Amino acid sequence: MSVALTLLMLAAGAYLVAVLEGWISTGRLSAAGPITGGLALLGRESLVPRKPDRIFFEVAPPLLLVSAVLAFAVLPISPNLIVADLATGALFVNAALAYVMVALVMAGWGPDGVYAMVGGWRFLGQLIAYSMLIVMPITAVAMRAESLVTTDVVVSQAALPNALYQPVGFLVFVAAAMAVCFLPPLDLPNAPGELAGGVEAEYTGWRLAVFRLARLLLVVTLAAAITVFYLGGWSGPLLPPWAWSAAKALLVAAAMLMVGRYVPRLGEADFLQWCWKLGIPLALFNIFYVGVLLLVLP
Amino acid sequence: MTVQTVLQTFFLAFFGLAAIWFAVVVFRTSSMVRSALALLFSQTAIGAMFLAMQAEFLGVLQIMMMATEMAIMAIFMVMYMMDPGGLGEMDMTHQKRLSQVAGVVGAVAALVVAFFAGWGPVAGSAPGAFEQTRLLGLEIMERSMLIFETAGVTILTAMIAATATAIAVREVRKRGEGE
Repeated sequence: MSVALTLLMLAAGAYLVAVLEGWISTGRLSAAGPITGGLALLGRESLVPRKPDRIFFEVAPPLLLVSAVLAFAVLPISPNLIVADLATGALFVNAALAYVMVALVMAGWGPDGVYAMVGGWRFLGQLIAYSMLIVMPITAVAMRAESLVTTDVVVSQAALPNALYQPVGFLVFVAAAMAVCFLPPLDLPNAPGELAGGVEAEYTGWRLAVFRLARLLLVVTLAAAITVFYLGGWSGPLLPPWAWSAAKALLVAAAMLMVGRYVPRLGEADFLQWCWKLGIPLALFNIFYVGVLLLVLP
Repeated sequence: MTVQTVLQTFFLAFFGLAAIWFAVVVFRTSSMVRSALALLFSQTAIGAMFLAMQAEFLGVLQIMMMATEMAIMAIFMVMYMMDPGGLGEMDMTHQKRLSQVAGVVGAVAALVVAFFAGWGPVAGSAPGAFEQTRLLGLEIMERSMLIFETAGVTILTAMIAATATAIAVREVRKRGEGE
């Protein structure tokens, strides 16, 4: 039951994010856009390029899908609605998201195409930049909750959400989350207008549909992760818990998409510099700061 | 034997065989990326073995760490090999006799240790996942602190050394361009 409900929430989230993305990138609000777009993709022939690494080419889109769904499975939508309330939930999110990079490297290498390969290796560079900034802010979140269990993380924010308790970690994590789901301005692996689609370049038809769906689910998952780790998850007055989770996650997703509209794309070398020279010191400061707060405040 | 024990043993054996199979694939392919990712899936299977043995934290950690490490290894293998796609007739093996002997000796040594070492009393049941995470934290912060610190400082030294090497090369090239 909770699996079906969670998948339903995930699908609804992906649809709404697709509508938002279309609205922000084209300026037209079209409720049917994602559906007609998806059907059009399914109707087209799915070509296999010449001399592909067939295993990687076929496995990459489903692997991206699976890693996004698995990461979502440990995030609570309401106190009772969670697929797997693992003792290591906050760590498991990282583990599942690590395979996003594996999928993109596979998608880059698999089709034996230049643009795809550049895109795939770029994302590996991007991972080296963002991966510490995913793990270290979560460390500080787990410190406050004194637990890696995601439901405990939400309960620990009853008095004050982590976004206010540890704003530095929040900002660092949001930037890193945008890099994970390669949203603009950090959309280096597919870089529309520059790489001819990058990792998506050689995918067509239903394979591209799976890839795009996986990317949308990834955006929803990261928005849900930000909600759970920093915005108090399901907690809020009046509305039922699941509605609060959904509303917060949707707002986060909209905010992430809006940022991409106004900020120019960042090169991977620049992003690496910013992350390692500014991001990691900030994340370390955040861990120290939260540690002091935990010791000083009762 | 309960159903749980049977299932546990089955999955342990399954993922163990999967780990060995992917390890064999590492050497059977000529593509560097395939080789590196086969090693990744071998390590992931070991992580799944931890999960089958109810060691949740260790399993998830293994599955998480290996993804990044093996992908980075893949890019280095692609950079340094002359035929990273394995499309030519390149033979990846060398010193065959020596490696065969080393492989057999290593396997025998591992089996001897596995069968003849005193492993102490076998635990009847694993502690709960929450308790395990706490115990692991205490272990790392107390008895194993020195080992982890030593390993950490060694890796840091290697990283600084590698970075220093890279910088030196770049400076030489710059000076060459200036002349």
